[in-house]
Amino acid sequence: MQLSQERWRRGWLRGIVATFALVGLASPVSAQVTASTTATYYRENGGGLNHQAITPSVRVGGVIRDVVSIRLGWDADVVSGASVAVVDAPGGDVDAITSATKWSDFRNNVSGGIGIRGEFTSLDVTYTWGRESDYRSHAFTITGRAELFDRNTTLELGYGRGFDQVCSLSQPRAQEPVDRQRLPSSDGCFDADDRESLDLSLQTFRAGWTQAWAPIFATQLTLSAQVLNGFQGNPYRAVWLGRAAAQENHPENRVRYSANLGARLWIQPLRGALQLSGRVYRDTWDLLSVTAEVAWEQNLWDGMRVRLRGRYYNQSGTHFFSDDYGRAPRGQYFTGDRELSPMSSWVMGGRVRYDLPAGDDGKVGLFDGFAIVAVFDFLKFDFREFRYGRREVPNDTGMLATLGLEAEF
Amino acid sequence: MGSRSSSERSATSLLFALLLVVAASACSTVRPEEKEFLAQPSMTFGSGGEEAAQEEHVISNREGSYGGGGVSGGGCGCN
Repeated sequence: MQLSQERWRRGWLRGIVATFALVGLASPVSAQVTASTTATYYRENGGGLNHQAITPSVRVGGVIRDVVSIRLGWDADVVSGASVAVVDAPGGDVDAITSATKWSDFRNNVSGGIGIRGEFTSLDVTYTWGRESDYRSHAFTITGRAELFDRNTTLELGYGRGFDQVCSLSQPRAQEPVDRQRLPSSDGCFDADDRESLDLSLQTFRAGWTQAWAPIFATQLTLSAQVLNGFQGNPYRAVWLGRAAAQENHPENRVRYSANLGARLWIQPLRGALQLSGRVYRDTWDLLSVTAEVAWEQNLWDGMRVRLRGRYYNQSGTHFFSDDYGRAPRGQYFTGDRELSPMSSWVMGGRVRYDLPAGDDGKVGLFDGFAIVAVFDFLKFDFREFRYGRREVPNDTGMLATLGLEAEF
Repeated sequence: MGSRSSSERSATSLLFALLLVVAASACSTVRPEEKEFLAQPSMTFGSGGEEAAQEEHVISNREGSYGGGGVSGGGCGCN
């Protein structure tokens, strides 16, 4: 963990150096350069299990001659916690949790993008490189956008392609899934002979339609589909199957579909906007979910905005989820992932953004603009059918806090 | 034959939906000088910036239907 924190500090430092380098290069020819840095802290704990993540990020973008935009970004996940290695192993109702294994990991993501803008159209291409001790990924996205009908309509089409690699324990060929052993640690991943690299391919298709219907009302519809092929389980986790435990075994193919509808209504007497959204999701693992969110964003005074929100999420389990595979197997697949069981969650939170006022010269100190953002969320989960042995999931609440700074040059 | 007619029906439905979108969009007549409120950040979709993206990243990783909207970033959400 000490090592991870040191790498995290070095990564953030590199991100900030890259930010200033890009600002220096882009400033002479650019109308506007923006740079932002954020840090998010997430924590859940209870009864011996815990999970925490620190996610710092640095982003910088510039527009050259109003035609070409360039973006660079870096973010990381510094995660640690304690989790159950063998789900539903026999031995009483407390063993699984009291003997939870501690772990930590550090994930780096670096992204770069370029865009071309016309008067009513734009095209953006982004590449993201991700790496952690047990996972590698490369992802490309391309997004085209067109504004129609006096800019009241925006249509967007996007395609993404991802190539991921997951580290796992090298298993003998033709071994039955019920005989596969879990990965004990990330030591030696992608190098050692007793480790193997498993591929995961992702393709994402997305279409968006944003529409201004009236001077105070707008909607956005987003449809997306994602095709995944390859290893999609957790290599560290094993599931008790009645006589022995085996590394969890998920289907290799999954297709996800989702539709999201958002609406914004401006209420002038209150100088605020009502924001509603609903999402329906379905995939070929038979997981069906709905999400509903309502938010109110208020302009308090010049430069100060406050947003309060409530979000409800509910999902069914996948067709192969069982809380006890020894007594109730579900065919050839088995999982110990609580997030594939029937569950629901609530999120209540708020966000405050303050844009510092400009002086007589139109500047905020050295900058053309400067903003501070703070976010806080409280989360509550309800796992209706998932148990560790006979115990309910103990870490069923979480809190998230984010602090962000944004500058324009 | 059955699957072909099913595909044809799907393609027709998609085409009909696209035409409906274009027709509905054209009915909207908000003039540029009427866009004072629509231009407010709170009325703009995706105006939450990096903070909102990170919020979504953390929360959706604790649910089974994460993703489906992009391919960026890796990680199996392990442990």
